[in-house]
Amino acid sequence: MANENFEPKITCFVCNWCTYTGADLAGTSRLKQQPNARLIRVPCTGRIDPVFLIKAFETGADGVLVSGCHPADCHYNTGNYHARRRWIFFRELLNTVGIPESRVHFSWVSASEGKKWVDVVNGVIDKVRQEGPFEGYKKINNEFALPEEVEV
Amino acid sequence: MEALQKIAKEALASKEAAFIIGYARVPGSQKTRPFIARDEAEAGQLVFDEYCQNNLAVYLTRIARPKEGKMGIVAKSCDVRAIVALLQENQIKRNEVYIIGVNCSGVVEDPAQPLSKENLAGKCNMCQAPQPAGTDTVVGEAKPYERADDKVGKLLAQLDSLSPQERFAFWEAEFEKCVKCYACRQACPLCYCEQCIADKSQPRWIESSASVRGNFAWNMIRAFHLAGRCIGCGECSRACPADIPLMLLNRKMGMIAMKEFNYRHGSNMDDPTLVGSYNNSDRNDFIM
Amino acid sequence: MNYYITTDEKLRELVRTLAEQKWNIISADKQGTRFMYINDGKDLTVDAKARPTKVSAKQFVFPKSEPLFFFKKEHDDLKLIDPQAVQQKTVLFGAKPCDAAGLPIMEKLFNWDYKDEFFNKRVENTVVIGMACDYTDEYCFCTSVGLAPDSEKGSDVFLVPGADNHYVVKEVTPKGAAFIAEFKAIFSEAAQGDIKAVSRTQPAPEKKFNVDEVKNWLDGHFESEYWSKAGETCLGCAQCAFVCPVCHCFDIVDENCAADCGRRVKNWDACQFGLFTKHASGHNPRETQPDRYRQRVSHKFKYYQDKFGETLCTGCGRCSRNCAVGIDIAEIVANIPM
Repeated sequence: MANENFEPKITCFVCNWCTYTGADLAGTSRLKQQPNARLIRVPCTGRIDPVFLIKAFETGADGVLVSGCHPADCHYNTGNYHARRRWIFFRELLNTVGIPESRVHFSWVSASEGKKWVDVVNGVIDKVRQEGPFEGYKKINNEFALPEEVEV
Repeated sequence: MEALQKIAKEALASKEAAFIIGYARVPGSQKTRPFIARDEAEAGQLVFDEYCQNNLAVYLTRIARPKEGKMGIVAKSCDVRAIVALLQENQIKRNEVYIIGVNCSGVVEDPAQPLSKENLAGKCNMCQAPQPAGTDTVVGEAKPYERADDKVGKLLAQLDSLSPQERFAFWEAEFEKCVKCYACRQACPLCYCEQCIADKSQPRWIESSASVRGNFAWNMIRAFHLAGRCIGCGECSRACPADIPLMLLNRKMGMIAMKEFNYRHGSNMDDPTLVGSYNNSDRNDFIM
Repeated sequence: MNYYITTDEKLRELVRTLAEQKWNIISADKQGTRFMYINDGKDLTVDAKARPTKVSAKQFVFPKSEPLFFFKKEHDDLKLIDPQAVQQKTVLFGAKPCDAAGLPIMEKLFNWDYKDEFFNKRVENTVVIGMACDYTDEYCFCTSVGLAPDSEKGSDVFLVPGADNHYVVKEVTPKGAAFIAEFKAIFSEAAQGDIKAVSRTQPAPEKKFNVDEVKNWLDGHFESEYWSKAGETCLGCAQCAFVCPVCHCFDIVDENCAADCGRRVKNWDACQFGLFTKHASGHNPRETQPDRYRQRVSHKFKYYQDKFGETLCTGCGRCSRNCAVGIDIAEIVANIPM
């Protein structure tokens, strides 16, 4: 499956208070990471509706990373606990419909963990690269491709 | 049957209930269908037997609330679970409903055929307590019935043994059939949102087109919104005109609720809802 | 009118030939759920005794989602792109009279003030091979709406089952005649009496109501008490409209394709949805489900009559057969307190 030339698109949903700040720290610390991740900042992991993940795949993501504050660290106290409980269901649901765990990743990265962020992102990118393009979703996205152009 | 009608008539006569949501016979057939009895004469049409497939709890959030009196409802044990789930989720209050529990001996899958081991509704296979609990009154007697093959469970195990690509292809073929009529939603006693996410257009998260992609989004999100909430009545599958095995997803979510949290929604009206609560010791091993 | 004879085996051969010539071939599926595209003779289902499929065949002329055009942002301009033209030749096998009749009924709506070229093109490209029906259950009522198990309305070619897997083939329209001429090897010429059609094993559905009397009553009873009870248990799912061979309401929405482009799509819609008539102000002229149910019955048996002189119903009974709460439209119409 490994595809050396394939560059995956990874959509990351990160919380404003921990992971986004952690990713920022990675940048200001001049740590290197692969450029395949696109970050979307949300107020809290508790705000991440699973429909966001579906939208990511609809818009061409090959993999998704969801990341927020460590347990007991949430800026809003309990957002990440609620999120975790949802993920327990959602990842199983995705797996059941054929979106495997290798494409959907979760992590806790705090504001001071710039290094961890780089490791997590690189790890996820490598894993998804190994997995190859998400052919299944690409096929159903095709229905929305523009037809061969005929000028009106 | 007479006991049920007698209780319903008394409840209407004493104004305890403003109406009774129950079942009535389809003329010229053994089949039954939901019927709302508003006076004593109509209460005389109420029936209950193995042809009463519908989960009537769906009407509690659909029908206009009476100004006076309670909403009366005839409920077998699976309907009671749905009612308890609605109580847990604060959609109704206990003093707003008058529950006439009916002991159940299993209902049919195909109402054109008599009840048998082969013609037993999928939900009855999974039923843990044919006697309803916590109702205002109970009528009838529950006879033990023979359980059939668990078709949904078997298919789910089969599905789990496939590769992700094969599973995706399976659902692609199934969701291609979806016509987005939303019968699954409307028939569901726990789909009561005033505005469904599928009907929201600013932004539009779930495409309204019945494209395979839009159908994937819709069916996944519906299954997720029912995670830890589905009580397994199977009405979505029964209502689906495209014969999509929706219960596979709902059952899977139910299995996770059981495995991870030992939780069954609708069992106890004082329990907090599963996805509405959390625990510090929830599983953390999948998070990096 | 010319008559021909063919066999089950020859029809399967026809499917193979058509598949080679890249025709779209539509047949009922084996489970009786819906019509679908097939590519192999062995998948052909032509069964007079089968129950009508749960979902009708209308989606092949009136798709559940049809892109009208695409748009793409280019600098400050918006570029419009037509969808690929409908040109595929299509054949619909084994349409029951209650399916085939739907096409000419919908044709009136789609050619009323605006000519819907998508619909027209699809109908024009489709050869409908209808089939006499030998199925009746308590939900069937084709005879009440002016059809019968052997109505040829909407069919281009009509099959009547004969003995030993034979079919008597009638050419109904010039399009059907041209189709038969094109595939001469499949259809051998015959005189009308050459082969006897097998007689029906099922009685024709009983006549449950008279459409003219129903129309007369509907004319004056918009506010009747009858409606509040008739639609009381309706859950407002729209499977009835979506499985119907003639319900044709649609909604037009814009959707994103990618960040810089999108498409305008025509999607099925239905009067049983609360949102169908909801105004931007929040006001809903059809506030309750009984109001919506009244609309369904009135559109079928009154408004379409008023406008096009036809009943918007083929009596297939799908809506009632599939209804999760057992609402039977024929029963409701028949029970009108006239």
